[in-house]
Amino acid sequence: MRAAGVIAGAAILGGAAPAAAQRTLTVAPLVSLAEHRVDAGFGVERSLGPILGGVGTLRFGPRLALAVRALGGSLFGSKGVLDRDVGELGVEASVVTAPWLALQAGAARRAYSTKLGRQSWTLVGLGATARVAFAGGAIHGVWRATLLPAVSVTGLRGPDGAFRTATGLEYRVRTATLGVEYSLERYDFPAEAGVRRLEQLSALTLLLKLRLR
Amino acid sequence: MRPLALAAIVAAAPISSLSAQGSTAELLGQAHQFYERLEVERALPLLRQIVSPNWPFEVTREQRVEAYKYLGACLTLAGKRDSAVLYFRAAIERDPFTELDPNLFTPAQLATFGEAQRRTFAVAVRPVEPARVDPRTARVTFTIVATHAAVVQARLAPVGAGATAPLFQGTIDGAREIAWDGLLADRRLAPTGRYELAVVGRSRLTGTSDSARVYFDVRHEVEALEDTLPDFDRRRLLPERISAEAARRDVAKGLGVAAAALLIAGAANGDLGGGERGRADVVAATAAVTGVVAFLVHRGHGAIPENVAANARHRAERDSTNASVRGRNASRVAATVLLVSPAAGEGTGP
Repeated sequence: MRAAGVIAGAAILGGAAPAAAQRTLTVAPLVSLAEHRVDAGFGVERSLGPILGGVGTLRFGPRLALAVRALGGSLFGSKGVLDRDVGELGVEASVVTAPWLALQAGAARRAYSTKLGRQSWTLVGLGATARVAFAGGAIHGVWRATLLPAVSVTGLRGPDGAFRTATGLEYRVRTATLGVEYSLERYDFPAEAGVRRLEQLSALTLLLKLRLR
Repeated sequence: MRPLALAAIVAAAPISSLSAQGSTAELLGQAHQFYERLEVERALPLLRQIVSPNWPFEVTREQRVEAYKYLGACLTLAGKRDSAVLYFRAAIERDPFTELDPNLFTPAQLATFGEAQRRTFAVAVRPVEPARVDPRTARVTFTIVATHAAVVQARLAPVGAGATAPLFQGTIDGAREIAWDGLLADRRLAPTGRYELAVVGRSRLTGTSDSARVYFDVRHEVEALEDTLPDFDRRRLLPERISAEAARRDVAKGLGVAAAALLIAGAANGDLGGGERGRADVVAATAAVTGVVAFLVHRGHGAIPENVAANARHRAERDSTNASVRGRNASRVAATVLLVSPAAGEGTGP
């Protein structure tokens, strides 16, 4: 969390002054069909549902950007599985290091709540996004990979390994961009009492980026 | 007044030949003093010495013309009118601009001089004075002369070029100034180079003809011009069409996204029950179709409208900039000042 804040602050301070005239704001409402799977030693529990949200991105010149996202939705459990609500608030700074590559650092706070209780997640990630233009630049293929080295979950020890990966396409139409993306987060928790907890969240997301200024 | 004129002639002589001319100027000065004191009989031998072929010292054209003129004046006073006319004619032939100041010479001298002018026909052009002329507001002035009434034509032409620009055609009697606006026959500003002003005259009294010419150089004084922006080379323009190879790569990229989606879904879900592929399939299918469609569309007509528009915008900006540059340059060229200087004869010019 602290690292992401430092990176975000450096991005703002370093990029804001010279690029004030190039500052642009983009908002992207999104809708996801997400599936949450947990195996805590009692078999795989699945819950599926829509998530709505949006991402606001403030770009400081051609290289630096700061994005804030807010998501929320309900995941409906399969047979015998509790329904749960999910909400997330995150911030991410990115630096374009090559025309096709950007590096990101971010942090997020996520909460799952059921009628039995509430679980909070804190996620810190470092990742990269590769974007390759095709169809003359009107379409971009996107690949993302993020390591989540610092994840804390209330009531659980942090996972041994966690990552998020995604791929998709972005279609540019005038000043708007329509994106479709498949993403997957994976968390492998350490075994406790001989039981290893595995958890993942996958989503098919549609988002529409609108450039405001 | 006359001593001053003689002193000016003496002073105008080149320094290098000053010693050789010293005797001529000295003798001319003595003759003039005798003339002023009306000692014509003493002045005449001195003046005759100067114009004699046996005179050992250098005599400038101006000194010779002055000597002939005063010989004529002296002989008029001595009552030898025919001889006076001959000497006046000699002066006029050597310098058609020769004239007698009515305030300094007697009516008889003026009449005799007029008779000499009527009997002698010559045209001449006064050497061009160095000048800086803005053709928009001023003119280059030439002075031509005909010793008596004559039909005169003055034409100007670049040395070595055939096209001539008529400057004057008409009857003159004596000296006349003609103005040149700096334009040639094609109404364009005279380019830098050497020019010739030729004057041809035909006497209305005797029918004889004469001609004269003078050379001068023209240079342009113009504010430095700006360069226009060069044509875009291909590297500075965005590609406006997608190549066949790029179209094929689009298929690969689409398939790459599709493969990544399937790989993510397949690899990560194995120990969580599988059956995850549905949403990944959507993205994979979309990517694959997109790649194939992009390939098919661009193979047919691979125009990239955004790049075409961007290039057109860049070209328009460049054209606009160049139009402004050309406008400013045209204004500067229109404000060209002509620098005119005398030249010795035909040559390459400045």
